[in-house]
Amino acid sequence: MSVGHVQRAIESIGIPTVGVYVRSFGHIPELMGVARAAITKHPMGRPLGAPGDSERQRSVVLAALSLLERDEQAIVELPDPWRAGAGAAPT
Amino acid sequence: MNKQPETIEQLRQSFAYGSRSNLNFKFIKGLSDDEFGAFLEELLAAIAATTDDGNADRVIDAAYRWQLESYVGHLGDPADFPHRHDDTPLASLGKPLSECTVALLTSSGHFVEGDDPRPFDVEDMTQAEAEARIGEFLSAAPSISAVPVDTPPSQLRVRHGGYPIASVAADHQVALPLEHMTALANDGVIGGLAPTAYSFVGATSQVRLRKKNAPEWAEQLRDDGVDAVLLVPV
Repeated sequence: MSVGHVQRAIESIGIPTVGVYVRSFGHIPELMGVARAAITKHPMGRPLGAPGDSERQRSVVLAALSLLERDEQAIVELPDPWRAGAGAAPT
Repeated sequence: MNKQPETIEQLRQSFAYGSRSNLNFKFIKGLSDDEFGAFLEELLAAIAATTDDGNADRVIDAAYRWQLESYVGHLGDPADFPHRHDDTPLASLGKPLSECTVALLTSSGHFVEGDDPRPFDVEDMTQAEAEARIGEFLSAAPSISAVPVDTPPSQLRVRHGGYPIASVAADHQVALPLEHMTALANDGVIGGLAPTAYSFVGATSQVRLRKKNAPEWAEQLRDDGVDAVLLVPV
């Protein structure tokens, strides 16, 4: 819920926003009236992807950014199922 | 005197800030006793099958499905959802994304080494202490940490009593995608990444956040001159 409040406040002063929510919190954007949200099939605590899964993290960020160009409320579920990563950031 | 046997309810609750606390599984507290039994049954069957073929996906999947059941399946009447709004504030970019400066804001609890937000004036609060004091966090106003986007990963710290931080601690880009956003700016997908990213501890007083902090942070982002914001709740 916290980010929902922040997202609404930013949008209210004229700055477009998009949030990335995990599915366990995927109901929040609609119930809170959030402008744009990408919802991932990821477990809580891993919103963009697994540690070390740069490919997934980047694709989620890209999908979310693309919603910024929408001028109407956009809440989109991303289809990719969870997958494990290397467990740590690439070095 | 004999100790009272633990009830199933007490067992369930022990995973959420209790004697068996594991924030990956704090959702167990929200299951009924019957659901908890069904979850354990599925988990054990999945482990048995995984023992033979090594495919742990079904174990991960069982945990994920019951996490969803606890958070989403138990929502009840949407009208009872706290902090529900029937309106949707909407702004527009006004120019192509490739010309926009985008800021990053997350509720991950990141800060930069040497710039600890020092909750409750505690020096070097540990993750364990943040979890132990979750109730105090939930009734206090949040503070926000500025994270220069060129901060070396080795100088990033994370502490948050409300979620399992291990994945984010292992790779900050799980919630704070500084390098991904920089690369997308270099590739021309966005015009640029705002030089300051922001992180706060989302386990906080929702009323104070909504009434005071969120509007202030929005003003700060406007002062920063950003055209759009990517937010990552955890």
